[in-house]
Amino acid sequence: MKKFNTLLVLTLGACLAMSVQAREKRDYHEMVYDSGCKSCHDQGLKAFPSDDSCLQCHDMSELAEQTKREGHDAKQNPHDSMHYGQEAPCMECHGEHTPKKAICMDCHNFDFPKFKYEHK
Amino acid sequence: MQTRRSFLKFGAGAAAVGALAPLTVSANSSDVKWDEEHEIVIVGSGFAGLAAAVEAGKLGAKDIVVFEKLGVYGGNSTLNAGQACFANTDLQKQLGIEDSAELMVQDQLKSGRGYASEELLRHSAELGPYIYQLTKDCGCIYRDHIINTGGTSATRSHQVVERSGAGFIRPMLKTARSYGVKTKIRHKFEHLITAKDGTVLGIQVRKGYHFGHEDSGKLINVKAEKGVLIATGGFGANVSFRQALDPNLGAEVGCTNARGATGDGLIAMLAEGAMPVHLSFIQSGPWASPDEGGFGYGAGFSLYNFPHSVAIDRSTGQRFMNETADRKTRADLEVQRRDKDGKPNPALLIAPKHEAKKDPSMANVLKYNVAWEFDSVEAIAKHFDVPVKPLKKQIEDWNLYVKAGEDPQFGKRMNMSTGIYLTAPFIVQRLWPKVHYCQGGIQINAKAEVIAAKTGEKIPGLYAAGEVSGGVHGVSRLGGCSTPECMAFGVTAARSIMKA
Repeated sequence: MKKFNTLLVLTLGACLAMSVQAREKRDYHEMVYDSGCKSCHDQGLKAFPSDDSCLQCHDMSELAEQTKREGHDAKQNPHDSMHYGQEAPCMECHGEHTPKKAICMDCHNFDFPKFKYEHK
Repeated sequence: MQTRRSFLKFGAGAAAVGALAPLTVSANSSDVKWDEEHEIVIVGSGFAGLAAAVEAGKLGAKDIVVFEKLGVYGGNSTLNAGQACFANTDLQKQLGIEDSAELMVQDQLKSGRGYASEELLRHSAELGPYIYQLTKDCGCIYRDHIINTGGTSATRSHQVVERSGAGFIRPMLKTARSYGVKTKIRHKFEHLITAKDGTVLGIQVRKGYHFGHEDSGKLINVKAEKGVLIATGGFGANVSFRQALDPNLGAEVGCTNARGATGDGLIAMLAEGAMPVHLSFIQSGPWASPDEGGFGYGAGFSLYNFPHSVAIDRSTGQRFMNETADRKTRADLEVQRRDKDGKPNPALLIAPKHEAKKDPSMANVLKYNVAWEFDSVEAIAKHFDVPVKPLKKQIEDWNLYVKAGEDPQFGKRMNMSTGIYLTAPFIVQRLWPKVHYCQGGIQINAKAEVIAAKTGEKIPGLYAAGEVSGGVHGVSRLGGCSTPECMAFGVTAARSIMKA
């Protein structure tokens, strides 16, 4: 969190202009928007954020614990799956400004009831 | 797709108007501005790419890089049933299965219908026991049970416990890294960089690429000191490309492949004059379900149950194929199942629960609505609108074939279903083929060197392995025979590169 605060100060107000363009966003990321686009867009505003960007605040092993499944479904943990372990980058499944589906859904009819790919 | 020539043309133009962008490639190879240099450059992180990385690491290569276009490793290789046909392994001997590389080659030649390469098949089959051991050394764990796949005359499909290619890919990725192999996601291969005489010097890569966003990331030039291995897989997911080659395979036909199977590597090699072989031989999987995307869970269920189950045409209530014939035979017959208006009417795979439950695939297909359980033949007939009388008769007849050990209807090898009668309750899955594998690709020799169309000679510095290469299997590849072949030619490419 400390690292994130430093970043917050550095980028505060850096892209207030962008917010005028009112992009699709997730409400629970409001705080991140307040601190500026560069909080996530660490490779320039026109480029995708790096795969490390979300990990400034989120921790993959904690996420894996949170979405842990038991028994038969254990390998379907999207943050620690049979196919990709904990290596699948966040943006493979999650979109901040565009709705996305989990990569698993390319082949499987999994039910991820808490997964928000429709906004709001 | 940018060819070297068009790129050069653009470079010259940009220079003329005084553009500030650095000129990264020019006709004179000494002018290329290299951003990175590695001893061995491997494109693709599937079976072929990772087997090459592991073998090159074992042979002492110090600087190997593997580039993966997608955000995740393993490409199409991590999405399958985790089967590999090997002949003459310890496990086969323990189980009393008699087999040989020669027999495996003969089975594959038959399925190849006169188009397969005997030399390349033999090379791959003979490396089988080595590959089997290499994967075990990487930490892959095989089941004790070897399974049957269509078109084989001996039981030889070894399967990892995960029942998924992930059971190969993840241990191999880990092993490759333990040898110091650098693995990089979001690096899309754009084109080869060659000297005037055609020798491959390196590749251009789009670093920071996000799939579907063709302008994302930035272009870098990567020099290969010893060689470039293209292991980029097939083009099954590239609808316009595959439909140009086979008009029957438009967008309405599903596909089992990973989204990245777009043929980039193949197209780039064609642009440099590699020899195309058998591009129109595109295989569909006869075990796929129309009730889920991609490879899914249905394939595993069908693979396990085909030997002791029947596939039924919904209009007639009768069987229409040998459920363990080779893939092409079955897929061609399945796609002909139509209603009276000519619309697809997918066949039914009817399996006995008492046997199906022995494999974990049953729980998966039931849970995710890919198959359903029925208590009686009548219930199946009612639900799927199948004429009940012929269906009942067909199932009774089938059970007589099981008892007699002979299938007079379609000549199925019945020693796989001895004593396994088709009785209620039943598990039923729908069958509809999905594009699965490209037999065609660019030509390689038994050293995994890429052959030039113009000369019939190798293109110096360029190697290819796996599905991107063509001509190995001919018209139809047998199940479980790509995985060992991908790895065999990956290993071969590594050996050739280290000798070059």
